[in-house]
Amino acid sequence: MLHPHRSIVVAPSPENPESIFNKFVLNFIFEDFSKMKNNEHWEEEEEDEEEDLEFSRNYFLAKEVQSSVKKSKRKITDIDVVDEQELREAALHIQPKHENEIARLMDSYTAMYPEWLLSLSCGFALLMYGFGSKKALIEDFASKTLTEYSVVVINGYLQTINLKQVLITLAELLCDQVKAKRRVSGRQLNSQSIEDLLTFLYEVEVEDKDFFVCVVIHNIDGPGLRDSETQQFLARLASCTHIRMVASIDHVNAPLFWDKNMAHTQFNWCWYHVPTFAPYKVEGMFYPLILAHGSASQSVKTASIVLQSLTPNAQSVFKVLAEYQLSHPDEGMPISDLYSVCRERFLVSSQVTLNSHLTEFKDHELVKTKRHSDGQDCLYIPLTTEALQKVLLEIS
Amino acid sequence: MAASSPSNSSLQPLSTAENDLQPFFVLHKASHHGKDRTSAGQGKPRKRNKLSLRSPQSANNPEGSSAEECDPHLCQKTQIEAFDIVWAKIESTIKDVLRDLNASVFNNIQQWVMECFNTTRLVGEPSIAEATRSFPVLNNTTPLKVYSALVITRNIEFVDDIMTFEELGLFLKSHGCHVAMLSSMEFSLKNGIAGCLKALLREFLGSSFDPSDIQTLASWYREQDNYNKPLVLMINDLERCCGSVLTEFILMLSEWVVKVPIILIFGVATTVDAPRNIFPSHALECLCPSMFMLVTPAERMDAIVEAVFIKHCTTFNIGHKVAQLLRNYFINQDGTITSFIRALKVACLLHFSTEPLSLIQGRVIVEDEVRNSGLSPETMLKYLEELPSYARNEEVDQTKKSMAEGLSELLTVQKLWSTVVLCLYEAGKYSGVRLLDLFCEALNQVLYPSRDSVCSKRDEKDHGLSSTNDPCQQYSIMQSGGSICQIVRKVRDLPSGKLDQLIESWEELTVDISEIHEKLKILQSSVRCKDGKSSRRNSKDISKRGVSKGSIHNDKDSRMSNLHAIAFLDDLVRNYLRPIEGIPFHEIFCFKNVEKLQLVLIGDPRRRIQVDLLEFHNILHCSCCNKSGKALLPSMHDSSIMYSLAQEHGDLINLHDWFQSFRTIVLQHTNKRKQKPKQTPLPKKRKDMSGSEDQNDASIQARFCRGVTELQITGLVRMPSKRRPDFVQRIAFGI
Repeated sequence: MLHPHRSIVVAPSPENPESIFNKFVLNFIFEDFSKMKNNEHWEEEEEDEEEDLEFSRNYFLAKEVQSSVKKSKRKITDIDVVDEQELREAALHIQPKHENEIARLMDSYTAMYPEWLLSLSCGFALLMYGFGSKKALIEDFASKTLTEYSVVVINGYLQTINLKQVLITLAELLCDQVKAKRRVSGRQLNSQSIEDLLTFLYEVEVEDKDFFVCVVIHNIDGPGLRDSETQQFLARLASCTHIRMVASIDHVNAPLFWDKNMAHTQFNWCWYHVPTFAPYKVEGMFYPLILAHGSASQSVKTASIVLQSLTPNAQSVFKVLAEYQLSHPDEGMPISDLYSVCRERFLVSSQVTLNSHLTEFKDHELVKTKRHSDGQDCLYIPLTTEALQKVLLEIS
Repeated sequence: MAASSPSNSSLQPLSTAENDLQPFFVLHKASHHGKDRTSAGQGKPRKRNKLSLRSPQSANNPEGSSAEECDPHLCQKTQIEAFDIVWAKIESTIKDVLRDLNASVFNNIQQWVMECFNTTRLVGEPSIAEATRSFPVLNNTTPLKVYSALVITRNIEFVDDIMTFEELGLFLKSHGCHVAMLSSMEFSLKNGIAGCLKALLREFLGSSFDPSDIQTLASWYREQDNYNKPLVLMINDLERCCGSVLTEFILMLSEWVVKVPIILIFGVATTVDAPRNIFPSHALECLCPSMFMLVTPAERMDAIVEAVFIKHCTTFNIGHKVAQLLRNYFINQDGTITSFIRALKVACLLHFSTEPLSLIQGRVIVEDEVRNSGLSPETMLKYLEELPSYARNEEVDQTKKSMAEGLSELLTVQKLWSTVVLCLYEAGKYSGVRLLDLFCEALNQVLYPSRDSVCSKRDEKDHGLSSTNDPCQQYSIMQSGGSICQIVRKVRDLPSGKLDQLIESWEELTVDISEIHEKLKILQSSVRCKDGKSSRRNSKDISKRGVSKGSIHNDKDSRMSNLHAIAFLDDLVRNYLRPIEGIPFHEIFCFKNVEKLQLVLIGDPRRRIQVDLLEFHNILHCSCCNKSGKALLPSMHDSSIMYSLAQEHGDLINLHDWFQSFRTIVLQHTNKRKQKPKQTPLPKKRKDMSGSEDQNDASIQARFCRGVTELQITGLVRMPSKRRPDFVQRIAFGI
């Protein structure tokens, strides 16, 4: 039986077949990724992209033999989902499987430590991949094997990471090593641009050739590091003489971040396949539970965790919105009003800054948009008054 | 198993829980103990390699040797040092090769820069008043042009060009130019013209200025020391620059060309037409282009292979399969020298980390460098003796002699091998055979005995040869196929002038190797003899019988010369082209572990993460899940169950269905358990957990949610969209 979509693949088109194929492939590979990179345009682009992507997916689906499954019409709401609090509670107490086997697997990787250390010492960077959280493994490797070197850990799975602060910390660590009094003191480091810091790290001369500072990046493909500029900075950081990188990736398409110069020359990855099957506990913390997705209220806990990971300004913007909602429970807050209040309180300097905060909120479903009766777009927080008050208490 | 659990818990100390939510933190600072150890072990940094490489053995007495053998720290140090030495050697070889290849182009470019510079100087130096004004000098009605060189890189990937342009920059600097290098990253819409200027000033003046202004550059250039040197700006990837920004930049440069006579050098990956596609006509008018060509990646590759693997074949070498991997990776996937060099570096690293014998190599190379001689078996033997395993062995003395023989044989055989490859490559230049292909073939051990056996057959029928139709077919190398065969075929048809050239070049190549050189002498004499005959006969022929018949004879004779040349090659290939992997002790400098190299070099997360999920029991080796073949069991990992189930869906997975099938599989377990009459006494906790049906549901739902999240983290599924709230999308199809 022919796959229902197969006809689409061979459908005549004004474009030449090769370009269609290329489009398929590119779309297919990048569909998910381009979206991850441009979070702000997610909503708007989604609808147009759907059409295009239908094509590319079907091209590959047509190649699958057993995929002639009828599209099911069942709804997610048909599942008798338990109360969200209960679900979250249960999620915290999931019985782990194969505990012993996983422990044994982790132990077996300790045999690789000398090899990894050798790779680092010889100027390579390590890239760990494979299913399961590799956080514990890498930190264990770092604390057992890299005792002679300073180690800085970046948690790439978090939403926002201030790369400049990381660079300052690294520069300070290197300065500690260079005992000679350098012109660059700690205070000066703070006022330098990322560009200058990278130049400093690149050019700093340490007498001991074997000396390096190790930068561990959990999830270098994580949301906080996903834009191409950050990746470029990381690549430049990795190419510094006295910096070595140990990073992990979980996303199957993560290598698409890097062009050949970055991957081969700057990062200089040695790939190591280390599936651990350990649960993604911290890494998955910020992902919404799919079954709780449809329900109206977000839990207080997730909201406050997300908010705590944001900058104080972002938190204050959220507070402005929350206070408005508490005082006007039934209507949303027009964006322009929010902007003027935030400006008055010196929370944002421009509409762009505000939008970036809002994007962040929207990504975590802390804020949603609805259309007011007068046609204006209004913002609201999808939490009950009670929950909102709790959130405000927690973040203040 | 039980013993290993505590170590697992130790992997997740409680204190890190706080750190988990920090964007970044310092795990630990370098320990002082460690620092002391490194500095003490290192001694004076300058002499570090030689000192420490020699010291461990002499410092330790035989009793201490076993302890030393086990000391991972010392072992690692030796590994690192050996790697450093060997890699530094290879790297400098490669650099020299590339420099030689680029030398003529670089010289041409430098001459052109000087010419341009002198021409701009003819226009005249602007007065101080003019030069310090904040607007450009416009003394002519016709605008001056910006000299620009288009360096055609003949390369699809820009990564190799970065290296080449850096070299060019250094070259020009050493010839007295101010050089700035910008990349397409600076010429992006986001940076705009201000970003370009800032980067330009940073490059020339060494620090950033705010606000960046070309006038700053103009007044800097006015300073006497600077003014006598040409200003060169290199942009190595023209095609990747943003056209509008670059256009604006060039228009600005052309206005300021009197004060700041910048000479542009563009790296062009496509064709000479590239500027025409990028710039509008009014910008094109400002450019005065010249063109230069770099060598192709394939030529560079051959030069590198020749220098690293053939001429210096005893520094570090690779086995046939590794060569095959590198070749295929270069030809089919990557095509860049950078990746090839990197792959070589990784191979070198793995060689030292996995091959115990490799450690001798680093030491021997150090020793030999001191004496300025080639790798010698005596030195090697000396270090072999010092190996702890040999020191403990009493039978060593007896085997010493044979070992020395073995080692020196290895070196001789390698030398012969490399000479033969070079001879073949020289002949291959007429048929366009790539050295990389030839190199792979020459390493192939499978071909070697077959060549041999075919030859022995030939020897048996040796006498009946003249009667066969094509005398060339008698040679085994003609029958093998591949590039060697291709080379020999070409030699068969080579006109006599070129053949003489070839033989001459062989003479140069073989001059140090007496064995081969003698054979070449025989070949030369037989060819000369034929030549002499034919020329004598020719003169007679011309006078007596006319030209046509003479030329036939001439053809026949030169064909005989070609046959002699083929016989010579055949002899070389049969006797001396012994692949390194067949020779004892080759492990010392030959890396063969192709699987390992492939794993470390080319990660394949897209496939492997899926395989992890679908075939997890191959990794976990659990006793509970791999009994039943493909059937899904409740004991399996939740995400694995879910991903296996997802395979049954099309591109869209209905969440409801997915959940239900997951639930069914997970509940199989409890149903079966309930059927069992004798239930093992479960702890109360477990009973509470699975107490009511609701709670059970909650936990299944939570597990399902976590499974989806995990698959989302790996990027294998995409979350429901607004339009399709009940479906997730599969991203990866087929492994």
